[in-house]
Amino acid sequence: MIYDITHVTAVDYEERVSVSHHLARLKPRPSSHQVPLTHSWAFDPAPAVLRQHEDIFGNPVAFFAMQGPHRRLSVTSRAAVDVAAPPPLPPRSPAWETVRDGVDALPIDVYDFIVDSPLVAGGPAYAAYAAESFSKGRAIVDGLVDLTHRLHRDLTFAPGATTVATPVAEVFRLRRGVCQDFAHLQIACLRSLGLPARYVSGYLETSPRPDEPRLVGVDASHAWIALYVPGTGWIDADPTNDRVPVDRHITLAWGRDYADVSPIRGVILGGGEQRTRVAVDIVRRP
Amino acid sequence: MPETTTRWSGFADYAPEGRALDEMVAARGAIHPHGAGLVGALEALGPAEMSARLEAARRTIRDHDVTYNVYDDPLGMDRPWQLDIVPHVIAPAAWSRLEAGLAQRARLLDLVLADLYDGQRLVRDRLLPSALVYANPGFLRPCHGLPVAGGRFLHLHAVDLARTPDGAWWVLADRTQAPSGAGYALENRIVLSRSLPEAFRDCRVQRLAPFFRALREMLHALAPRPSEAPRVVLLTSGPFNETYFEHAYLARYLGLTLVEGGDLTVRDEGVFLKTVEGLQPVDVILRRMDDGFCDPLELRGDSSLGVAGLVQAVRAGRVAVANALGSGVLETPAMLPFLPGLCRHLLGEELTLPSVPTWWCGQPLERDHVIAHLDDMVIKPAYSRIRREPAFGACLSRHERAALIAEIRQRPGEFVGQMALALSTAPVWADGRLTPRSIVVRAFAAAEAGGEGYAVMPGGLTRVADATASSVVSTQSGGGSKDTWILSDGPVAPVSLLAPAGTPVAVDRAPKDLSSRVADNLFWLGRYAERCESLVRVFRAATSRLVEAASIDDAPELAAMVRAMATLELVPKDAPASVSIADLEAQTLDAMLDEHRPSGLRQTLGQLRHVAWLLRDRLSGDAWRILNQLHQDLRGDVDCDRAGDALVLLNRIVLTLAAFSGVEAENMTRGHGWRFLSAGRRLERGATLATVIRAMLPAGGSDSAALWPLLEIGDSSMTYRRRYYAEASLAPVLDLLVADDSVPRSLAFQLQALAAHIDGLPRDPGAPASTREQALAARLLAAIRGADVTALCAARTAGRPEPLDRLLKETARGLGELSDTLSHYYFSHAVSRVS
Repeated sequence: MIYDITHVTAVDYEERVSVSHHLARLKPRPSSHQVPLTHSWAFDPAPAVLRQHEDIFGNPVAFFAMQGPHRRLSVTSRAAVDVAAPPPLPPRSPAWETVRDGVDALPIDVYDFIVDSPLVAGGPAYAAYAAESFSKGRAIVDGLVDLTHRLHRDLTFAPGATTVATPVAEVFRLRRGVCQDFAHLQIACLRSLGLPARYVSGYLETSPRPDEPRLVGVDASHAWIALYVPGTGWIDADPTNDRVPVDRHITLAWGRDYADVSPIRGVILGGGEQRTRVAVDIVRRP
Repeated sequence: MPETTTRWSGFADYAPEGRALDEMVAARGAIHPHGAGLVGALEALGPAEMSARLEAARRTIRDHDVTYNVYDDPLGMDRPWQLDIVPHVIAPAAWSRLEAGLAQRARLLDLVLADLYDGQRLVRDRLLPSALVYANPGFLRPCHGLPVAGGRFLHLHAVDLARTPDGAWWVLADRTQAPSGAGYALENRIVLSRSLPEAFRDCRVQRLAPFFRALREMLHALAPRPSEAPRVVLLTSGPFNETYFEHAYLARYLGLTLVEGGDLTVRDEGVFLKTVEGLQPVDVILRRMDDGFCDPLELRGDSSLGVAGLVQAVRAGRVAVANALGSGVLETPAMLPFLPGLCRHLLGEELTLPSVPTWWCGQPLERDHVIAHLDDMVIKPAYSRIRREPAFGACLSRHERAALIAEIRQRPGEFVGQMALALSTAPVWADGRLTPRSIVVRAFAAAEAGGEGYAVMPGGLTRVADATASSVVSTQSGGGSKDTWILSDGPVAPVSLLAPAGTPVAVDRAPKDLSSRVADNLFWLGRYAERCESLVRVFRAATSRLVEAASIDDAPELAAMVRAMATLELVPKDAPASVSIADLEAQTLDAMLDEHRPSGLRQTLGQLRHVAWLLRDRLSGDAWRILNQLHQDLRGDVDCDRAGDALVLLNRIVLTLAAFSGVEAENMTRGHGWRFLSAGRRLERGATLATVIRAMLPAGGSDSAALWPLLEIGDSSMTYRRRYYAEASLAPVLDLLVADDSVPRSLAFQLQALAAHIDGLPRDPGAPASTREQALAARLLAAIRGADVTALCAARTAGRPEPLDRLLKETARGLGELSDTLSHYYFSHAVSRVS
């Protein structure tokens, strides 16, 4: 399946900005079932500097800087991505405890996703919640499917109830939030059990296919998680839509939590109040 | 009477206790051979002279204002640095072993950093537990794969060393982030070598200067672009940092520009210093800021201290940062047990300088060992970012012990156990006798320019515990320090940090490194210094009349002074016309001495001191001593409860302030820095004078009572007497104070000087021929020059005071506007925000 994606971020500043520096993770990365085809940037005003590199997780990152005075900034990222259907879930998978107890045998880059990260710290409360899904000896993939389902059931999708700064503990208490909060909470649950879970940023194709319900997502970016299963690799799970594995998801980047992969961030000089609008358009090629 | 020949032998009575090793004596009275020279010299001085030398050293430290900021210190933010008079002496043979071990350790840690920031093979090969990297808050993922300056991560390394009863040295901790202490070690040396010149010369102490020269050469060699004179800056988090003194001190000593994050900006992937002459490229950053705070874009977004885009500038290879961003990852005691294995693997050598036995609780066997031997352990947080005091197992109550064990079991990876060492002691001179105190030595190694090795500072910072039998040595929790003397086997050559004679030095009259922030501070230094002086003169004119007056109704000059003080908000504006002398005296003293009194003298002096402190790397030693004298003159416990006392005090302060303006006038280079300082002074003096004249000449009523006090405030009574030899009358007095540009305290003089300073300031080549501030200064000057003061005074006497009043009012207002305009053009440092 080939998708054409146009992602426009437009910022209006109340006052003039003299200099701004930005990082964007808006170029889709390759993954086991995704091949990026083309990508291009368009800026207004034109950046003084545009450089691209890969971060420690292998995500493409663009650094750009505006050096002339401006009141408005628009960044357009255009991508074409070939996304294959994810492999079906493995019919058998190891008991979750064997994964927990065998972390030393896992590839080392997996270890990065077990320990606490800037926005997601585990704790006994999450472990207790997750334990219902991960009963003694249960296959890890079954546990993942069940936990994803329970989070979808127990949490209310409520745009505006949280901000990017809302801590996971607060989300857990409120039982409401957006896809980012769902993902952080699920990661907290899995890491509290000692399992490696990562945060995935990307897009969701929301237009319904025939005889399917319209999926819930934000108009802009989406977020979900992936769990590492020895023998299989990373399995994506979308707690906001109760999907394991995910199917209509296009991956941009992954990291330990949102802080590692925020689609666009910047430090500006001047500017006053700012208003940001994001528009994402996803078209499936016939 | 015959001279006494009995020689003092204080060290014979010095008796270290317990089982700890003492650095000076082996057993009662038996001096270690390497200490004999020093002990002989000290004993020859005798106890009274030792105390006198210590007192002199303390005075020097106060004069240099050597401080160490202690967070939450009830004594105030900066506490004087404590230095003992007895240095810590290390024998040449012992030192050469230590030196080799320190150099090896720096090489090793540099290689470990290179691995961790490029693929972490050490973790893949199981030489390091993965958690020590990935759960380590010091591991900065955005720094992975970044190029490093000179191919090295670690440019300056520091190690805390302790010595056990068997004589072995152990490493307690590595400082790989932005090690502090080298500057304090240098200051200790400078002070102590002056306090004990005989002993210092006779003992053949190795000099520190070659180390600092090599450090400076290494920093210059890191510059990514070939340049004759690369710009090397020392990046500080600012005056609130605990070791800010040292930042300023080292910057000065090494010839670096001291900058805060806000002084730097990134353009086109390069780092630039914001100066009053525009952006100037920066080649090398010696950072004294933790790496996590260095770039709000890629590192901690909540940091307002850093420079947005710095990581990208490093990535682009445009700027060198020392130590490399991310090097703080090794500042974890949990790394220590793995170093011997890493050393064999990376260097093919045995680690020669052992670390204190340490167990990281993230490993089950080690955790159980720590819990089983808790009494012999110090429990510390595994990562420096976890704020927690070390816990001594043997000192815990049963309850504390159980709680700690439970915590270790719950989050084992966050704890290490270290064997509690019996620290060696050294004699400290206090209260006229020698007392043994535990010590720890911080040693330093700097990368060699162009080579792969490290040069070790032949010396260090010896820190002393604040109690006799303490196993904790921390500058943050009190305690003092010692100079550290490494003796030489042979003669010691004197070394200077200046380039050797014969080295070609390019002529450069105006290095462009006056940052906008520093210019701003200099401007305010001038304003506050002058504000203090104006206040002192007003207070002096008031108190000299208070002393003589019986009631205010009989003292019209005093009444005029009350109006001046009221307009400066020193006494209540709506004071009753016939306030009692006693009340007025109390109010005046209060305005002088109460530090909480806004715009009072003590508070203004506090502001002067604060802004001077922000500029400490720019002020000369003499300027510092004068400012400290001011501080001493007006200390909190100053004995001043009558107007008579106040007069004595004010007379003294006037002289001290005159000394400060003398240093400023005679000793400062006429660069932009001086121009801003002097402009601040002129502006303040002009504005205050115009305001005070207006206040003292009331709308209706007689002027005569105001004239002598005004001449006094304007320091022009003598001139007036000589010129007119007559009673004061309005027109000649105002001619002198307002219009005569040959009188250095007149309004005309201030405005003329201001206009000249402003003409000399740097400006954009594209700026209009006359800038806004130039036009404003010219307009103010023209108004005063064009005014016919005699006519204005005649009008006032004839009942039309408005034209004179308007002229003064407009001048004062215009000067305020000029201050704002200058600030906006030269000093505005807009604050950046993260989104």
